[in-house]
Amino acid sequence: MALPNKVLPGFSATLYCQPTATPTPLTTANLSVYASVSPIVITGNLIPVEAIPAFGQDDAVANFNVAGSRQSDKIPTQSAPTSMTITAAWNPADTNLLLIRGDAYSGTVDRTFVISASDGTGIVNYAFNGRVGQFTVDPNPTAEAKCTFTIHPRGNQYGWSNNA
Amino acid sequence: MKLSEAIELLTSTYQSLDAVALGLPVDAKEVADALAKADPDSAEYVALQALAKVNPYENTKKEKVKKDDDYNQE
Repeated sequence: MALPNKVLPGFSATLYCQPTATPTPLTTANLSVYASVSPIVITGNLIPVEAIPAFGQDDAVANFNVAGSRQSDKIPTQSAPTSMTITAAWNPADTNLLLIRGDAYSGTVDRTFVISASDGTGIVNYAFNGRVGQFTVDPNPTAEAKCTFTIHPRGNQYGWSNNA
Repeated sequence: MKLSEAIELLTSTYQSLDAVALGLPVDAKEVADALAKADPDSAEYVALQALAKVNPYENTKKEKVKKDDDYNQE
């Protein structure tokens, strides 16, 4: 099996989190190792999110004006990994949502998260370490209760792996 | 620095592997040999890849050209 070699639908990606209230996140090297990441990708660690938001690297550039040149020059500068604001249906007894809520109250818990995408046979995992910075519950009476949380990935702590 | 020490450091760090590897003086040939033998789905392999990026190894030995291959043919 190899990397999924097709354009994947958005719903093929799922989010998993490392279990327990005091996890030891994977080291940078292990975030790129499928054998290290795949034990996290199990049903018990699934976070019941509605959709996986955009993830990756934020943009930041410095604009340089070069005398005599028609065009200026934009050079990418240091930027943060993209923060992920996620909405999930609020089940007060969901173990993983309770972990996320606990992380938000703490603000100092580093946890490994995995976004796993599959076309049925090939699996690609994007693993990263992050902290939860926000957790709110919206008990709107006109719809089911939702909770929203934001994961801030730690800089440089990410890795891609696949089941090839 | 011993290669095993460098690998241990890289597999246990939470920092950027490229940045850490820059500060680890190791033998490029040793890295290349170890990388060839390493399991691609292991933390050691990832660490060796980071080391190989900053310690590229080029085999400088060239095969002797046989003179009679292109010359002395009637």
